[in-house]
Amino acid sequence: MWEKVRDWLAQRRQKLDLFDETLVARQDNPLYLMGPMLYYFWLITVVTGVILMLWYEPTTTGAYTSIERIQNDIGRLALTFLGRPVTLGGLTRGLHKYGADALITITFLRIYRMYFLAEYKKPGELSWMLAFLGLILGMVSGITGYLLIWNQRAFWAAKVVLTVPVYFDELPLIGPLKFGSMIAFLFLGGPAVGQATITRFYALHFGISLVLLILVEVFFQRTRRKRINMSLFPLALFLVMLVVISIILPAESGRRADPTKTPLPILSDWYFLALYQYVKYTPPLWAGLGPGLLIGFGLIVPFLDRSKGRRPLERPFFTVVGALAVLYFLAFTALILFNIAVIERDPFLIMNITLVVLALGLFWELRHRRQQRQAAAAGISPPARAPVHG
Amino acid sequence: MDTKPAEMMARRKFLKLVTTLPALAATAALVSPLLRFLKPNVEKFKIYAPTVQDAARGEVIAVATLREVANPWDYKYFVFTQKYPQYTPEGFKAANVPGVVIKLPYKITLYDPATGQGPWRWARDIGKTPKVTESDLIVFSRICPHLGCIYNFVPNYKEVTAGYGGYLPPPPRQHALMACPCHLSIYDPADPQLPGRVLSGPAPRPPRTFLYEIQGENIIATDVEPGGIA
Repeated sequence: MWEKVRDWLAQRRQKLDLFDETLVARQDNPLYLMGPMLYYFWLITVVTGVILMLWYEPTTTGAYTSIERIQNDIGRLALTFLGRPVTLGGLTRGLHKYGADALITITFLRIYRMYFLAEYKKPGELSWMLAFLGLILGMVSGITGYLLIWNQRAFWAAKVVLTVPVYFDELPLIGPLKFGSMIAFLFLGGPAVGQATITRFYALHFGISLVLLILVEVFFQRTRRKRINMSLFPLALFLVMLVVISIILPAESGRRADPTKTPLPILSDWYFLALYQYVKYTPPLWAGLGPGLLIGFGLIVPFLDRSKGRRPLERPFFTVVGALAVLYFLAFTALILFNIAVIERDPFLIMNITLVVLALGLFWELRHRRQQRQAAAAGISPPARAPVHG
Repeated sequence: MDTKPAEMMARRKFLKLVTTLPALAATAALVSPLLRFLKPNVEKFKIYAPTVQDAARGEVIAVATLREVANPWDYKYFVFTQKYPQYTPEGFKAANVPGVVIKLPYKITLYDPATGQGPWRWARDIGKTPKVTESDLIVFSRICPHLGCIYNFVPNYKEVTAGYGGYLPPPPRQHALMACPCHLSIYDPADPQLPGRVLSGPAPRPPRTFLYEIQGENIIATDVEPGGIA
């Protein structure tokens, strides 16, 4: 048993791609530049984050003010943009925020690429699982970092998100152990959002990147691979883009957190918006279980998809599932931005659409397989193609 | 001769098991102190959350006078201060629990001393006996029992239909309602069987209530139903 697992891991490690570094030959296609860009944006975020630590004050009373100070006063330059002074602190904060946004965007896009091109199939299972875990950790890093501003949006996001695990106490068998409350209390540092929460979130926010960066560097040292296979020009261009957007659209601070007033509408960082809309529709236990199942499905998808081909049309069911996921992500985000939710009507509608579309996908898959079998019986072999990992 | 290798394998497996068990036990023994590092108010060798340790302490305050809520559907917002345990050097954090006093058009049972039932049945769990058993005054915590937002008392049900997801209450419930802006849960404060009954939305239960006493002209809130994240 143990030997089998070790062999499996050893095989996957040969072809393990953290940042598409074994796919250099394909990088005439921008889709495969997403790996190195991911690493690049991550480094920008880490470096600017460390610089921000010089001035940031992780207390409930001082956090908001210290951020305002970083934004407006630290390292004031002799130029202004639209009447606002341009500061080095503001630029650093802009690079940190927009670099992180770029990081999450690229991670999402890269995961969709890996999904629709079936790169998760053997021997890419481990690469896929790590990319997916990377997205989860990136989002956790995002929400822990967001609270550090201590503004209205962040405060209520933290409170809502950490009330969700409390409902795990309702589960049969393991519920009475109260491990749901335990999870919430461990993150919050008590049963309320306060100073302990900000301290713990600060540690997590920094710790996630620190630990991952060390692991990644060890991996690169041992495999002697090149981290970024890109020329200097696009790298400089991305940096300039981040600087320009930090000047034109300075990172916002919102209003200082007020525990007695819920902001309207309640929003979060853009990549959580779809989840917020979903939470309106479901009983609260499923607000936690749903995303949990989604993460579980994402992690084991390489073992569920037993189809032969790699092209999207060669495995219709999983393509339909993926397309549905993209569609729901966009649609739910749009719905919450326009503040549309009819609780009496929508969940029923969404359930039915999902079931019908999944059933059609399954039907398509079965039809496709029958055609393949018939073709095989008739002696027509599909045209040979180069494997993805060349 | 064939059975001998199989027997040896069995013995090896047994020995492996014998050495693995203490290793597992040692790992389990490490969990408790590790957990106490993260959650200092866990007792020794307990690995699950004891809620007693995390109970909050409230400060008794006068929330309204009887004259302020004299007519049916009069209401008054107030803020109750509650001390929550926190894993910092101070140990406690004072958090605000917003609440609302509502005058209902009819009397409802708040606590049945014989059976211990009613909206205040939780009072027993914190070792208190409510002094009021039946009243047309009810005091709710405005922390939504769903995911902890602050919900609103909406005097006109039409505003609920317009602004909180299009829910139209049936004719007997067309009066003031309570509605949460975050995830659009809607509550009926005047439901005679279950005050605060969830009419629409994802909330799993009615809002938590305050225990109150009437001293002269004042309505005094003494405790708030435990649970949720403040």
